[in-house]
Amino acid sequence: MNDIRTKPPQGHIEVDNFSLSYESIDGAVQAVTDTHIHVNPGEFVSIVGPSGCGKSTLLNAVAGFLKPTTGIVTVDGEPVNGPSAERGMVFQQYSLFPWKTVRENVEFGLKMRGMPRSQRERAARTLLGLAGLEAFEKHYPERLSGGMKQRVGIVRALATGPKVLLLDEPFGALDAQTRVIMQQILTNMWQRLKISVLFVTHDIDEAIFLSDRVYCMTARPGSIKAEIPIPLERPRQQSMMMSSEFLALRRGLMSLIREESLKAMGGEINDLGMQGLTIELQGHSLAEVI
Amino acid sequence: MSSSPAVLRQQEDTMPSAAAVTGSETVPAKPQTPAPSFGTLTARWYRLNRDRLRALAIGTLSLAAFLVVWHLLTTYRVVFFVRFINVPTPLEVYASFTKAIHDPKFLMHLLLSCRRIFVGFSLAAIVGVPLGLIMGRFKLVHEVVFPVAEVLRPIPAIAWVPMAIMLWPTNEQSIVFITFLGSFFPILVNTLHGVSLVDPVLVRAAQCLGARERSIFREVYFPASLPHIFTGLTVGMGVAWVSLIAAEMISGQYGIGYFTWEAYSLVQYADIALGMIAIGVLGLGSSLLIRGVGRLVMPWRSK
Repeated sequence: MNDIRTKPPQGHIEVDNFSLSYESIDGAVQAVTDTHIHVNPGEFVSIVGPSGCGKSTLLNAVAGFLKPTTGIVTVDGEPVNGPSAERGMVFQQYSLFPWKTVRENVEFGLKMRGMPRSQRERAARTLLGLAGLEAFEKHYPERLSGGMKQRVGIVRALATGPKVLLLDEPFGALDAQTRVIMQQILTNMWQRLKISVLFVTHDIDEAIFLSDRVYCMTARPGSIKAEIPIPLERPRQQSMMMSSEFLALRRGLMSLIREESLKAMGGEINDLGMQGLTIELQGHSLAEVI
Repeated sequence: MSSSPAVLRQQEDTMPSAAAVTGSETVPAKPQTPAPSFGTLTARWYRLNRDRLRALAIGTLSLAAFLVVWHLLTTYRVVFFVRFINVPTPLEVYASFTKAIHDPKFLMHLLLSCRRIFVGFSLAAIVGVPLGLIMGRFKLVHEVVFPVAEVLRPIPAIAWVPMAIMLWPTNEQSIVFITFLGSFFPILVNTLHGVSLVDPVLVRAAQCLGARERSIFREVYFPASLPHIFTGLTVGMGVAWVSLIAAEMISGQYGIGYFTWEAYSLVQYADIALGMIAIGVLGLGSSLLIRGVGRLVMPWRSK
């Protein structure tokens, strides 16, 4: 803060000309093809798409777990090769270490960085306090509810101060009520931190509610079908999900996804499905809706 | 309902007990309930531990029944396919037990067996656990070691006795070696299995938090495998005793296995049963010890 130079904003993700295929007995299988996406510093971007479209593959490539077959992934101009604490990740399966207490889980990244014990204990306590979890610091994850586990997961990913936060269907395993609460918590946290977020989900409401921009992917092999800005005002509240603006966005995105889901399910039902779709879309041309 | 909406909204993420406490505070003041009497506390304790008490009572009864049957069979020298003519009665065994605990020679037999178990088993754990972890983590090591291990594993430790006598200069060393072999393979195989079951997402999570190979090994693979490692240690301890007793009976001069065999040669039948019971108690004790250590090392697994 006292620095004379103003720090350039951090967390610019750039995925260029990206494709990823893997070997199988029938030859190379394209998982993702010809994809360009970017996340501006401090921006919240979601990727939605039918299951199996490669959205998680894309996220895993940004995390550094998978190498692109062609193209490049960069964060602030530096090519990603391999996972790093710069890119925090939250997984659907919580992935807390069962043998560590809540606080030890949060401390993990700081410990890896070589921070002395007393210092990282203090840091972890502060963070847990912000997430309302200080009472559970000595609990083992097994004793927490799903919502609490994922809060710990998010806090743990943020503890090292990453440039970007990657979330892979983080609320997918939660029940509907808890999911709504978690979305509110996440949007509040993001509002405060202004960290760049890349968020993968198949839940359209979730994507609209949280994001500044939503990428919609096609069925396998996945590529970007549409890029939809979400102009809803911030800070966001759950009540906005009833607004006509929200519902219009939802309708547009829904039809985009349904088209791709039907494609993913096979050609025969495609025509049938498309008939239903035109009926749905009556009175709202796609362009108008978006 | 007198609870406030705030309480309702919070409920999902607060502990149920916390919600219960807030709830009870809003209940109109009742006359203070007196501290529960000794009687109610006893009744409550009984209700909570009923299952355990039941198991304890039935266990005691079944042991007693075993002793009674043993007593009857031997006192009346039953011969019905199995011959109980020479089998000592429980009282004879008890008599030889009271004599034996004052006999330094008997204690030495016990102590020597325990020492052999301790050395052989510890060596097996010290070699088996790290080897299993490394084999599970590095493919090349696995590919090199696994075929050899698979060929040697089915050979019972007893079959190693002649070879062990040739390999090692002293009897003591060959017995410890056989004990080692008996426990080594269960420990190795279970550790390997534990590593193969480590959730890859946990490894990824660690990598995303900046963990390098070495830290991942120490912070993820090792603790995640601990439950299986302890299964291996428990099984290994059992096999260690089996191997030890066999080795002592064949090639030993001391030890509780030798004591039991010697009792047969010297026609001291009560001592045969005494030796067997001693082996049983030591085996039980050592496996309880491992279970206790396991509980200490893995606090997250106990309720």
